[in-house]
Amino acid sequence: MAWTLALPELVLALCGLAILLIGVLPKRDTFFPMAMAVTGSLLLAAVLVLGQQEGVALNGLYVADSFSSFMKVLALIGAALGLLLALDYNTRERLNRFEYPVLVLFATLGMMVMISANDLMSVYLGLELLSLPLYVMAAFDRDAGRSAEAGLKYFVLGALASGLLLYGASLVYGFAGTTNFDRLAAAFAAQEGVSPGVVVGLVFVMAGLAFKISAVPFHMWTPDVYEGAPTPVTAFFAAAPKVAALALLARVLLGPFADLAAQWQQVVVLISIASMLLGAFAAIGQRNLKRLMAYSSIGHVGYALMGLAVVSDVGLRGLIVYIAIYVFMNIGAFAVLVAMRRSGRAVEQVEDLAGLGRTDPAMALWMAVFMFSMAGIPPLAGFFGKLYVFLAAVQGGYWTLAVIGVLTSVVAAYYYLRIVKVMYFDQPPEAALERAPPSLSVVMATTGLFNLAFCLFPAPMLAAAGIAAAALLG
Amino acid sequence: MIAAAAFYLFAAILIASAVMVVTARNPVHSVLFLILAFFNAAALFLIAGAEFLAMILVIVYVGAVAVLFLFVVMMLDIDFARLREGFQRYAPIGAIVGGILFLELVLVLGAWTFADQAEALRIAPTPPSPVTNTEALGLLLYTDYIYLFQAAGLILLVAMIGAIVLTLRGRPAMRRQNIAVQIARSGSVAAEKVPVGAGIRELGIRRPPPPEETRRLAEPAHGEADHGERH
Amino acid sequence: MLVGAVFFPLLGAAISGLFGRWIGDRVAQWSTVICMVLAAVCGIGAFAQVALGGQPTTVPIVTWMEVGGLEASWALRYDTLSAVMVMMVTFISTLIHLYSVGYMSHDATPYRFFAYLSLFTFMMLMLVTADNLAQLFFGWEGVGLASYLLIGYWYEKESANVAAMKAFIVNRVGDLFFMLGVALTFFVFGSIEFSIIFAAVPDRAQDIFLGVNALELIAVLLFLGACGKSAQIGLHTWLPDAMEGPTPVSALIHAATMVTAGVFLVCRMSPVFEFAPTALALVTVVGATTAFFAATVGCVQNDIKRVIAYSTCSQLGYMFFAAGVGAYQVAMFHLFTHAFFKALLFLGAGSVIHAMSDEQDIRKMGGIWTKIPITYVVMWIGSLALAGIPFFAGYYSKDAILEAAFAAHSPVGMYAFILGLAAAFLTAFYSWRLLILTFHGAPRADAHTMEHVHESPWVMLFPLLVLAAGAIGVGYLFYPLFIGAHEQAFWQGSVFTGPDNHILHDMHEVPGWVPIAPAAIGLAGIALAYVMYMIAPELPGRLASRFRGLYLFLLNKWYFDELYDALFVRPARRLAEVFWKVGDARIIDGMPNGAADLAVQASRGAVRMQTGRVANYAFAMIIGLVIFVSLFLIGFVR
Repeated sequence: MAWTLALPELVLALCGLAILLIGVLPKRDTFFPMAMAVTGSLLLAAVLVLGQQEGVALNGLYVADSFSSFMKVLALIGAALGLLLALDYNTRERLNRFEYPVLVLFATLGMMVMISANDLMSVYLGLELLSLPLYVMAAFDRDAGRSAEAGLKYFVLGALASGLLLYGASLVYGFAGTTNFDRLAAAFAAQEGVSPGVVVGLVFVMAGLAFKISAVPFHMWTPDVYEGAPTPVTAFFAAAPKVAALALLARVLLGPFADLAAQWQQVVVLISIASMLLGAFAAIGQRNLKRLMAYSSIGHVGYALMGLAVVSDVGLRGLIVYIAIYVFMNIGAFAVLVAMRRSGRAVEQVEDLAGLGRTDPAMALWMAVFMFSMAGIPPLAGFFGKLYVFLAAVQGGYWTLAVIGVLTSVVAAYYYLRIVKVMYFDQPPEAALERAPPSLSVVMATTGLFNLAFCLFPAPMLAAAGIAAAALLG
Repeated sequence: MIAAAAFYLFAAILIASAVMVVTARNPVHSVLFLILAFFNAAALFLIAGAEFLAMILVIVYVGAVAVLFLFVVMMLDIDFARLREGFQRYAPIGAIVGGILFLELVLVLGAWTFADQAEALRIAPTPPSPVTNTEALGLLLYTDYIYLFQAAGLILLVAMIGAIVLTLRGRPAMRRQNIAVQIARSGSVAAEKVPVGAGIRELGIRRPPPPEETRRLAEPAHGEADHGERH
Repeated sequence: MLVGAVFFPLLGAAISGLFGRWIGDRVAQWSTVICMVLAAVCGIGAFAQVALGGQPTTVPIVTWMEVGGLEASWALRYDTLSAVMVMMVTFISTLIHLYSVGYMSHDATPYRFFAYLSLFTFMMLMLVTADNLAQLFFGWEGVGLASYLLIGYWYEKESANVAAMKAFIVNRVGDLFFMLGVALTFFVFGSIEFSIIFAAVPDRAQDIFLGVNALELIAVLLFLGACGKSAQIGLHTWLPDAMEGPTPVSALIHAATMVTAGVFLVCRMSPVFEFAPTALALVTVVGATTAFFAATVGCVQNDIKRVIAYSTCSQLGYMFFAAGVGAYQVAMFHLFTHAFFKALLFLGAGSVIHAMSDEQDIRKMGGIWTKIPITYVVMWIGSLALAGIPFFAGYYSKDAILEAAFAAHSPVGMYAFILGLAAAFLTAFYSWRLLILTFHGAPRADAHTMEHVHESPWVMLFPLLVLAAGAIGVGYLFYPLFIGAHEQAFWQGSVFTGPDNHILHDMHEVPGWVPIAPAAIGLAGIALAYVMYMIAPELPGRLASRFRGLYLFLLNKWYFDELYDALFVRPARRLAEVFWKVGDARIIDGMPNGAADLAVQASRGAVRMQTGRVANYAFAMIIGLVIFVSLFLIGFVR
């Protein structure tokens, strides 16, 4: 039993325990050093993931392959960037307790467990290890009513989703007598027609996972929680956990349930269409930026799922590229949101950005880059993400999906451009927004350059995504 | 035969009490029915030969969780009439949706089949008789499933951190036991000779020195006065 | 040299854009100008080597992306078609950079302007030198973005913002079709490399897609994309509004280069279009209609730049119907000459506006020709070229277009010929209306403005004079190469004409009256304008009140904006509202007032509200689940 295969997870867990222990001892405020330590641990884990061997370990519960490596590195980077966003904000808002980075670390560990899951039980435990820190983080600003409310809402609905997932898993187990992915795949391959119970169980499992990626109709928590949670927490929610949950969904559907593709495909198509539509239309009327980003992320998940719905290697590669680009667009946009302060208070309405083009050209430029990228305007990275999923849909003959995707992206471009318009063309209010602190400027510049430069050097990521997709599809 | 009869008896009570949990007007009754449901479920486990799970269910769920529920329900002032109002408003749609789901699940159960090798694939078959239930669980948990066991442990740790993060507040007025100060205190353990046979009437009631005085005594020696006052 | 022509502008844009604030306006401006001059030298060299020397090449740069059969390398394709465009773009762009140094001298952030301008030039060069459709699309979107930035350059003006948004959104509609066209091309040919597509066209001529000929569909989709960029009727509404940008921008983007990208695309894809007769007929009809429509509207506009903008629209229509009847070389020739005289007209108009203290309404000008004689002369030259008066540049190309349309001997060709002639008349009319109202008659501006009327500085006049020389000479000089005796040696097959396409030959054998007609009818238009505005200035007002309906119809540009507002903008907004109110607020939240209101209410009664709502959320999840399970089971039973 090669337990050393899970070295990245083990190291990260031990780092987490050590940081927790060190953080609790001194009497001073240990938020900043602990956050740095956690960032370091995440990067260390990323390095270990890159050097990881491939194979199945720990009694078939854990799998490491190119797909898991790619997604884990992405999730780790997303989490590390998300944590950097919190540095300044948490200090200013008096949320600078050292537990925050520790929770980020354990949530990330949960993501890694999810991504490497090779068994329905690992799936569930990874999901819970991810979810619990998220619930706590949503309510982290415990004295603010809306933060506490967000945490509670997320918790209750998350519990329901977990229940659905477990129920589905038990139905599947009842049919096959196993929860191991490889054996499940073998069982479905051997059977001529599967019992409807398995199919229903699969729907329940999908519902549980769709909740985590906030796909319609399991998205209802998203706007409220995104709005209520402290902004850096929202930024964290919107990036790394989505990577893990999408990776998990892809692994579950294309791994053990690949033979049932005909059955689950229509559900993914429906979810994808509904998410794209809702993401495009519901965001138009939003004035709160965080709420807007919530709907935006719902729409993006719809596009990413399009890659899954076509069930092909091209489609899966499209999904991987899309989610990777999405992480960088989203973290960047949230860096701007986190930086939005006026006279010492955090603000989050669209109008608050008015006149930013004059008062802070650098920040406005990056925000414009992120918005254009999200709208899918070439030559920014977001365009390529959309291009690959649309191409996959067209190649697979899913014209409906492609057409709806193109149409909704046109509609969505409206509200992204509206933000650009507000920044550059509206009159600024009396007091200008404060300057972004260096930590946020660094994140903005890094992600912004990624979005700008992707069009010049897309080949490495595309190649990596291709290898990852091939690893999952075998 | 008796086992079958017992199974149906416990199962029927289990379902009935589960229904009562949802429909009971008084929340305290709901919790009590929940406890009844747990007991019946434990009995079902016993019939299935899983005595360890049965006992755990009783100890953990009845002994800890349900009683905690009871406390919370009694302590919180929840307006149940209002809750019920919402319930009644959505009841018809809820009934329809629930009914459809129920029908579908019945359909699914009706058409249930097992995979060809389901029996062979069964992850952890019941071990031969000399191994007890508890031992078998332990054997699995600490060997084959050590990964999941550790993950579950981390989840509990996170839950604990979460509970502390969300609820712990350092109150400046709160006093804590400071063992170091206590031990290092000099002169407080001095014995005092009390006249033998003298009652309270003669000696009066002896009281410890007031707290401020104690603190003043301890401070210069250790500088620990601010302990427990961060946050 | 071939690479330099494309990348010098990018270098200039980078210097000015990234370091403009540190190195100062002056250095930033002149560094972009120097980069552009270098690019122009390279561009002319490239033209000499590729087109005159006859050495078409492809310069590979990097393999750009390579995935799943979609392989796109980044390479510069230099054949005669692109060499012509590269030379024209770099040359005119250089002149306009130079002109802008004077024009933007009072601006607050000229380095930003120059960075955008150079960036635009780079994107345009990427577009014309593209080796495959992906790269072309990259340039296509890049020029759109640069155009958006430049139109909205004066962001303090609300109208500039609106115009920028409008240009962007209308262009996106065109882009949508373009993208579909590219996707379909990839679907049909399995590649987006031009060389592979062009080689495979004859084999694919009979392919059917969705019940129609695949090549026809590709051609129509690409043409619709071109319509957006080139402001053809239906998608033209953004172009007049785009005049909100600084005048050099109008000259460069909305006259000489970007708007002609659509024509370039049709010529570039000529191998596909040659096999799509129906699409070509559509191109002809749309082009001819636009030529006529825009000319009619141009006759009643009062903003000096808008008149020229509609004129651009109309001239683009000419180019399209020339391409539509198969005379791609003629279309390219008109594109080439048009770039000179239209840039000249715009820059001249800019000079007038500069002189008149930023006044753009020609009703408030007049009587200034003695004060700004050089501008006056170059505007005359530009107008003469535009109206197709013999021996000026426009004469050669416009004549050739009308001859080609006549020589097509088809109903659509005839339609194009008649509308083209009518448009030629109107063109001459509105050009002289503009000239007379602007320069002649009694001064209608206030005395203060009149005092300040002054000739522009030499840095602005020099480009005007160069362009004026071009507007006189390029027609005569390049006629033999583009469409005359040496055309085959010149084009070297970079524009494909089918085996049955003898239009270039036929157009020289039309009846004798056809070549004379445009010039004659142009002179008639000038005469009418002279009568109406010089001799009897009260006549136009009387006509306007007499034919009020027609006048308003023209003045409101055939009511296209209103139509779009009613057809698309308002329904879309209503739909969004319905989605938001019903979808989010009513069904999901169970609250009538929408999500924004909820946020306020939530802060009031968080606990009370939240219980109900979480239940609703959970409920919605369960309903979704039930729907999916039902779907599964229904699928299972079937």
